[in-house]
Amino acid sequence: MESFETIRATSVSEAMTLLNEPGLRSRALAGATDIMLLLRHDPHYCDRLVDISLIPELRKIEEQNGRVIIGAAATFNEVMESPLVQQTAPALVQACHSVGAVQIRNMGTLGGNVVNAAACADSLPALICLDASTSILTPAGGQSMPVSRFVTRPNHTLLPSGGLLLSLSYPIPASGSRSAFLKLGRRNAMAISRLTVAALGRLNDDGRIAEARLVTGSATPSIERLAAVEELLLGEAPSDLLFNLAARATVAEMLRLSGRRWSSEYKIPALEAMTARILGQVFPLAAA
Amino acid sequence: MKYSLLLNNQRVEVEAPGDISLLKLLREYLHLTGTKEGCDVGECGACSVLLDGKLVNSCMVLAAQAADREVITIEGVCLPDGSPNDLQQAFIRYGAVQCGFCTPGMILAGEALLADNPQPTRTEIREAIAGNLCRCTGYQQIVDAIEQTSLSRKEKKGHA
Ligand code: FES
Ligand code: FES
Repeated sequence: MESFETIRATSVSEAMTLLNEPGLRSRALAGATDIMLLLRHDPHYCDRLVDISLIPELRKIEEQNGRVIIGAAATFNEVMESPLVQQTAPALVQACHSVGAVQIRNMGTLGGNVVNAAACADSLPALICLDASTSILTPAGGQSMPVSRFVTRPNHTLLPSGGLLLSLSYPIPASGSRSAFLKLGRRNAMAISRLTVAALGRLNDDGRIAEARLVTGSATPSIERLAAVEELLLGEAPSDLLFNLAARATVAEMLRLSGRRWSSEYKIPALEAMTARILGQVFPLAAA
Repeated sequence: MKYSLLLNNQRVEVEAPGDISLLKLLREYLHLTGTKEGCDVGECGACSVLLDGKLVNSCMVLAAQAADREVITIEGVCLPDGSPNDLQQAFIRYGAVQCGFCTPGMILAGEALLADNPQPTRTEIREAIAGNLCRCTGYQQIVDAIEQTSLSRKEKKGHA
């Protein structure tokens, strides 16, 4: 007896019908890299897996009205190799690159990373730094919400039952913006992330900070932009002193949001150093 | 369920449960035991195969996801007469095979890299095999074997 069935959907409407058949616990299946692990713990985790990974419209990466739209079933490798993403969101390219090894990046999808929302999902800080939104289809119709609201806490999202994440999208950052992503992990290829930071920044014509976004991953219970740190940076001229101040403010935010934990002793100096380093990458210092 | 796939350039059909991994389908239902099971959780790369030309861990793919697609396993990597190809010969020559458990996955990772990037740097080679664990060799010999194969393939092409 099989503990579940797997059906391949060839279109979004077929996937919705299969996902919403009454009496069956159905789940969307994309790259399988997370679901295979869940199934190993609990083979009866669901009755039906609906394979959405080969639906062409869910794999597209395209530009529309000033936004980059990434189909939920685009793999990490497809995202990081997309010239459009490379030009507009180096932070997302770097985040996808840091996911697992090539075998995982060839199967794992951006949509799966967001829907499963593991505490260590590398794409989340990058997407939230890019002010990315989700596009969701439910039996009642379509809806959209920011990734930062969609992911409520590790492993929990606001995806309605029977709903399907169609795509992620982000507004193309203003010209002159730079973004970056850093990860501190133990063994490179397979390290599930321990600490990540994503940042985006832009200077105005007199070399002062016109835009600053900073997000940390695996440091706080929910992933969000650190407004207190961003405010401290705005309007200032980049300097090592400023970056160090901002790095200390980032640590203060982490402690405020998640409290002191057994891992704080390790995370405090690491996060401080990573923040100062990433700010140096997105805000080039004026040549002395 | 009934599976049909293009396996090592041959159309095969097999009856097997719908809830198994591609690794299990290959080893237990198609009796191709060249693909190894190391960790079964996506961390060691011993089960690497090519799915539609892309390197994947077959323990992390449902067999049903591979249905009607193209799969290449280590049994499909050889010269037309069935003998080891140049990459496999280089692994032997450079001492890149000791116990041999990681070798099928390493060869497929190497072939996937060279198909994509025929002249990789050593760093690129290391990155391409970062998902494949080897407990014996220390990797140096494996990187050497892949690098040498890339150089000799380039030379061959130049002469052709
Ligand atoms: S057996 Fe598949 S990655 Fe280890
Ligand atoms: S040769 Fe033994 S694990 Fe690689």
